[in-house]
Amino acid sequence: MNSKDYFAISGRENNDRIESRVLEEKIQAALALGYTRLKIDAYGQHGLGGRLWRAGEQPVHVEINGPVGQRVGAMGSPNTRIDVMGPASDDVGWLNAGAHIVVHGNAGNGVGNAMAQGKIYVTGNIGSRGMTMTKHNPRFDAPELWVLGSVGDYFGEFMAGGVAIICGHEAQNPKNVLGYRPLIGMVGGKVFFRGPHQGFSQTDAVLVPITDTDWQWLNAGLRAYLRHTRQHEFLYTLLSKREQWQCLRARTPQERVTKAKRAMNDFRKQVWEQTLGKGGLVGDLTQLDRSPIGLITHGDLRRYVPVWENYKYKAPCEATCPTGIPVQTRWRLVREGRVDEAVDMALAYTPFPATVCGYLCPHLCMQSCTKQTLFLPPVDVTRLGQASLAAKMPELPPLSGKRVAVIGGGPAGLSVAWQLRLKGHEAVVYDTAKTLGGKIAAAIPNSRIPKEVFDTEIDRIGQVIPHVHLQQHLNQADIHQLVEDFDFVVIAAGAQKPRLLPIPGKERMIAASEFLAEAKAGTATVGRQVVIIGAGNVGCDVATEAARLGAEDILLLDVQAPASFGKEREEAEKAGARFRWPVFTQAVTPEGVQLDTGEIIAADSVFVSIGDAPDLAFLPDDVAVERGFIKVDDHYQTSNRKIFAIGDAVRPGLLTDAIGAGRQAGQTIDDVIGGKRPTADPRTIIDVQRVHLEYFDPRIVRYENLDHCGSQCASCGQCRDCGICVAACPESAISRQELSEGRFEYVVSSDRCIGCGFCAGACPCGVWNLIENAPMG
Amino acid sequence: MFPDRPITPSTLSVKDLPWQIAWSKDKCTLCGRCTAVCPVHAIELGVFRKRVLNTSLDIAAPPSNAHHVYHGIRQKTDPAYACIGCAMCNLVCPNDAIMPMRADESDKLRYHINRGGSPRSRGGRRNVPGGLLDQIKFIRISMLTDPALDAGRHEFELRTLLGRVLPPEENIRFYKENGWMPPVREIYPLLIGGMSFGALSPNMWEGLQMGVAYLNEELGMPVRICTGEGGCPPRLLRSRFLKYTILQIASGYFGWDEIIHALPEMQEDPCAIEIKYGQGAKPGDGGLLMWHKVNNLIAAIRGVPAGVSLPSPPTHQTQYSIEESVAKMIQSMSMAWGFRVPVYPKISGTSTAMAVLNNLTRNPYAAGLAIDGEDGGTGAAYNVSMNHMGHPIATNIRDAYQTLVKVGKQNEIPLFAGGGVGKNGNLAANAAALIMLGASGVQVGKYIMQAAAGCLGSETDRCNICNIGLCPKGITSQDPRLYRRLDVDKVAERVVDAFLAFDTELKKIVAPLGRSTTLPIGMADALGISDYHASERLNIKYVV
Repeated sequence: MNSKDYFAISGRENNDRIESRVLEEKIQAALALGYTRLKIDAYGQHGLGGRLWRAGEQPVHVEINGPVGQRVGAMGSPNTRIDVMGPASDDVGWLNAGAHIVVHGNAGNGVGNAMAQGKIYVTGNIGSRGMTMTKHNPRFDAPELWVLGSVGDYFGEFMAGGVAIICGHEAQNPKNVLGYRPLIGMVGGKVFFRGPHQGFSQTDAVLVPITDTDWQWLNAGLRAYLRHTRQHEFLYTLLSKREQWQCLRARTPQERVTKAKRAMNDFRKQVWEQTLGKGGLVGDLTQLDRSPIGLITHGDLRRYVPVWENYKYKAPCEATCPTGIPVQTRWRLVREGRVDEAVDMALAYTPFPATVCGYLCPHLCMQSCTKQTLFLPPVDVTRLGQASLAAKMPELPPLSGKRVAVIGGGPAGLSVAWQLRLKGHEAVVYDTAKTLGGKIAAAIPNSRIPKEVFDTEIDRIGQVIPHVHLQQHLNQADIHQLVEDFDFVVIAAGAQKPRLLPIPGKERMIAASEFLAEAKAGTATVGRQVVIIGAGNVGCDVATEAARLGAEDILLLDVQAPASFGKEREEAEKAGARFRWPVFTQAVTPEGVQLDTGEIIAADSVFVSIGDAPDLAFLPDDVAVERGFIKVDDHYQTSNRKIFAIGDAVRPGLLTDAIGAGRQAGQTIDDVIGGKRPTADPRTIIDVQRVHLEYFDPRIVRYENLDHCGSQCASCGQCRDCGICVAACPESAISRQELSEGRFEYVVSSDRCIGCGFCAGACPCGVWNLIENAPMG
Repeated sequence: MFPDRPITPSTLSVKDLPWQIAWSKDKCTLCGRCTAVCPVHAIELGVFRKRVLNTSLDIAAPPSNAHHVYHGIRQKTDPAYACIGCAMCNLVCPNDAIMPMRADESDKLRYHINRGGSPRSRGGRRNVPGGLLDQIKFIRISMLTDPALDAGRHEFELRTLLGRVLPPEENIRFYKENGWMPPVREIYPLLIGGMSFGALSPNMWEGLQMGVAYLNEELGMPVRICTGEGGCPPRLLRSRFLKYTILQIASGYFGWDEIIHALPEMQEDPCAIEIKYGQGAKPGDGGLLMWHKVNNLIAAIRGVPAGVSLPSPPTHQTQYSIEESVAKMIQSMSMAWGFRVPVYPKISGTSTAMAVLNNLTRNPYAAGLAIDGEDGGTGAAYNVSMNHMGHPIATNIRDAYQTLVKVGKQNEIPLFAGGGVGKNGNLAANAAALIMLGASGVQVGKYIMQAAAGCLGSETDRCNICNIGLCPKGITSQDPRLYRRLDVDKVAERVVDAFLAFDTELKKIVAPLGRSTTLPIGMADALGISDYHASERLNIKYVV
C-alpha cells in the first residue's frame, strides 16, 4: 500500500446520503487498514476528520470535497491535517485538540469553539461566535485561527487562550472586521486584526502595540498560512503596511477593571454644574455651604452648645421664700469663708432675719430644698437666721425727699418701711398698738420666740425708721390727709377683727387673737377643759398657751382635716392637745360645745380661731375691696394708684408672706418714684433635675455647723466653682476666667467643644445647660 | 428619678423602653461623642453613686462605708427622649463601648406616646417585616434559550413604556383626526418614586437627581425620578435634566406656580406628570411639612414664605370624584405641555383601584396608573396609617393587570407598582415579581434611601424619625448640620451602584426566560409560590 495514495470514501451510497455514523465508521476502518491519506466526498455528514488518533504518530491528511456538515475536525488529533475544499458549516474544529484544519472558503458559526490546540485556516469570512471558549494548555502550543476576511458577531467570547488572526481581506463587513461586541469575557490569548472595528469589550481586552517579535511571528505565520491556502498573491497586500495591523490581548486579572466610568466628582464639575451652574441644583437659591462634614463637629456646626447659666434660675429655696432671700447665695458665701457677708446680706431682704428665719418661719426654703428629693436633709437655714441677730446694718443712703406713710407697724408695714428707707425714701409708720411688731409682738407666744431676739431686732428697726407714731387710731379723713401729705400710702394694718361663728352662744367664745395677746401680756386665764374651734396654726398657738396657763384637757375641733403644720402643730401636740374632725359646732352653751349631732363636749373655756378679717373702716372709698380684703394688683397697688396694701389686710398669710409683700411693694414704689415700670424678677425656678445630688453622701443625716451646711448646700443654679466641668470636658474646651472683683466665669471654646453636654451632665449645681445651636439656613 | 416623687402612669424604666443602651463602663473613654451625636438626646453623661463597704470581723477594725461617684453614660427614661435604636452612638464610639439593644419583650413605651392626646406619628415604613413578594419564585428556567443569554455578558435593553399605547388602528385614527398620538416614553423599568424636596434634604435630593443624570448620560440607562410634591428647583426645570424627571402634582400644589413660570424657559419636556391621589404609606392621609422645616430654601422651591407649615390635604380640595378629577387633571396637565407629556395618576393600593383603572381605560389621554402598596415609606404619618392601612401591592397589581387583560388593554395602559419593593433588600426579585404579575415598571423610595444614603430605618421600628427633622444620616433633615453629613457625590454614586446591580440581577432573572429586550410583563406562568392560597389568589403556580 502506497501511503501517498489517497483512499477515497464517499458519503453516498446508491446516490443516497449515508449517516454520519456510517461514514465515520468507514473513515476509522480505512485508518485501521493503514490509509493515512483520505479523500472524502462528503454529503453533509458531521464531525468529519476528527478523532483520527488511531494512526498514532503517522500524519494523516484528509481532503474533503462536497458539502460538509457541522463540526469538521471536531476533537481533531495533532497528527491530522484537514483540507475542506469549499466552504464549511458550523463549529469547525470544535474541541480541536491538535488538528490543522484548512477551510478553502467561508466557514459558518462557532469556528474553533473550545479548541485547545491545532490550527484553523479559513480563506474567507467566518460567522458568529468564532474563537469562543478557546484554551491554551501550557503542555502544548497555543491554538491558532487564521481568517482571511472578517469574523462575525460575538467573536472570541470567553476566549481563554490561543491566537486569532483576522486579515480583513475582502471583509464581509468592510467597516467592522471584528463583528458586533467581540471578546466579551476574554481572559486569555491574542487577536491580531487588520481593518476597522466598532469596539470590543473594554473590560476584557486591551489594544496593545505590535512588537517586533510579534511582527516577525505574524510574518512567518502569514507566509505559512497563505502558502497552505494557496493565496500567495495577497502576501504583499497583507504585509506591506505594518501599521494596518492591530493587536488585542486579554486583560490580566490585575488590569481587569470595571468599565472605566467618569468619577462622580468629575461628573458633578464637568456635567452637572456645567449645566446647572455653580452650586448645582440649588446654587441660585442658597449660599449655604453644603459640603460634607463629619458626625462630630465644632463651632457653628455643633447641633447643641453648652451655656454657663450661673444665676439664671432661682434655687428652689430662693424661689419658694416669700421674702425672696437667696439662701443658696448665703451658703456660697459661707463656703467661701465670708460668713459675715452671708449673715449681713439678710438685712437687705428683711428686718426680721433672726426672729422670722431663725425662729418663727415654717421655712418653705427648707421644705423645698432640692436635697429632699433624694431624702437628704435640707440645709439648715435657722443657723444663718439666728446668726443674723448680729448682722451689721447696711449703710443708709441719703434721703430722696420722697415720703411714704405706712399704716401698721407689723411685719408687713415694717418690711415696706425698711425697704423704702434702704432705698433712700422716708417712711413714717402709724400703728394702733403701744409697740411695734404687730402680730409677732402681740400674739405669738414667747415660747416660740425669745423676747431678747425680737427686742434686738425691733431696736435695730427703730434705728432705721425713726418716725413711728404709735397708738394712732386713724379714720377715713386721716387717711385722706395722709394721701395728701405723703407721696404714697401703704396700708399694712393686718387683720385684727376676729371672725366668730354666727351661732347661739357665740358670746361665750373667746377670740384666739385676744387670748394670745392677753396671754403674752400675762393677764389671761383658762379653765381646765379647753375647746378650740379651728385647728389651724393659730389654734395650735392657743392650745400651747392654754396648756402653759394650766389647761389640762385641750381639744381642737375642725370641720376638715386640720391645716396646722410645723412647729405650732408640734408644740400643741407636745402640750397634749387632741384634734377632732370633721365636726360641726351648733352652739356654745355653759356646759361646753354642742355639735350638730347633739353631742356636747364639756368645756370651761371655748376659743375660736377660724381666722381674722381686716378692719377696713378707715379705708377711703376709692380703694376697692374684695370679700373683706383690700384688692391689689400684682404689685400690691390698690385701685387708688397712690395707695398700696400688703400683709393680712390683703390676704392672710405667713409672716414671711407679709415681709415679702413689704419688700415687693417697697421695690414697686421705688420703681415708680424712679419713673420706671415696676420690675419683676424675671428668673424662674431651676429644674431641679439639672442638679446632681449624687455627689452628696446620702448617709449624712445632720449638719454640724455653718461650714458643714455650706459644704452640703447643692448650690442649685449657682456655680460653686468646683471645676468639675473643666475636668469632665473631653475636649478641654472649658476654662475658668477671672473677672474683676474676685468674680469669675467658666467659658467654652467653641473651636474645641463638640456639644456633648458632659459639662451639663457632670455639673453638681445645674449651672451648665446644653441648648440647641442657633438655626442655620 | 427622684425617690421622693410619686410615679406617674407614664413613668417608665429603661426596661420598658423598646431600645436599651448597653454601655460598658470598662470600655468607655468618656469622649462625649455618643452624647454629641445622639439625634434625640436619649443619652447623657450621668453621675452615678458608688458605695463601698469595708468590712471585717476584726473588732479593732470597725466596718466602714465610703461614698464615691463615677461618671458614665445614662439612658433617659422620659418617653420624650426614648432611644430610637439608630446606633449612631455605636458608630462614633472609638471603643465600641455603647450600643442600643432591642428589648427582649414588647415595650411599654407604645402605650405612652400619645401624651397630650396626640397619637404617635413618625416617619419610616410599616412596622411589619417580611412580605409576600419575597416568597415568589421564578420557576421557569429555560436551559438553553436561543440566542443563549448570559446576564453577565450579553447585551440587554431592559426598557418599559410609560404612556398610552393605543391599538394601531386607533392610533392612526387619532393621528388623522387630531394630528396627535399619545406620547410614550421608553424608560428604565425601575423608577425612583416621589420624594419631595422638603421631605428630603437638599443634599439627598440633589444626590438622587445627579445619580439619575449620571445613569442617563454616562451609562445610557434611561432611569427616571419623580419629584414628589414640593416643587422642583428652578435650575432643574430649565435644564435638559428635566427630561429625566417626572413632575408630581399633589393636593398641596406646592411649587406649581414656579413650574408654570418656568414653562416658557424649559429646554426639555419632563418625562411625565404624576398626579398623586394617594400614597401607600399613609393611604387616605395627607402630609404636613412642619414650619420649622420650611427654611428659605424650601420656601423658595415651594413658592411660599419661610417658617409656615405647609399642609397637603388628604384629597384634592376642589374635586369631588376620582373620575372627575382624573379627567380634569389629566387634561389640564397635558395641555400645559401641548399634549407632549404623558400624564398619569398615582393612587394608594386600595380595593377600589379597579374602579380607577376602568375609568382610565376609557380615557385615551391617561398615560398609565401607578399603584402604591401598603409597604411604602413616608417622611411623616400617623403610626396607625402606616401600620394598619393600605392594600398589599401584589394582589392589587395582579387584579389590575387581569382587569386589563379582560378588556384587552393589557399592552395599552402601563401599570406601575410601588410600596415595599426591595423591602428586605431583594429589589430585583421583588421588581421582577411585580413585573411578571403585570406591572410595566416599579417605583422605589425606601430602598434607595437605604442603599444610596445609609438610612437606618427598619420594619422593626428602628430610627423612623424622618418626621422630626433629626435624621441622623441627614436624609430627611433641613438642618445643614445634619444634611451635610450626606455627601452629594457619594449619594449619586450609590444610586448608580444600586441601579447597575439591580440591572444585573434583573438580567439574571429574565435571561432564562429568553428576554433581553422586552420585559416579561404579566408573564405570570414563570412565577410560583409555596403558599397555596396566594397562588390561587394571584393566579400563579403553586409549587412546593
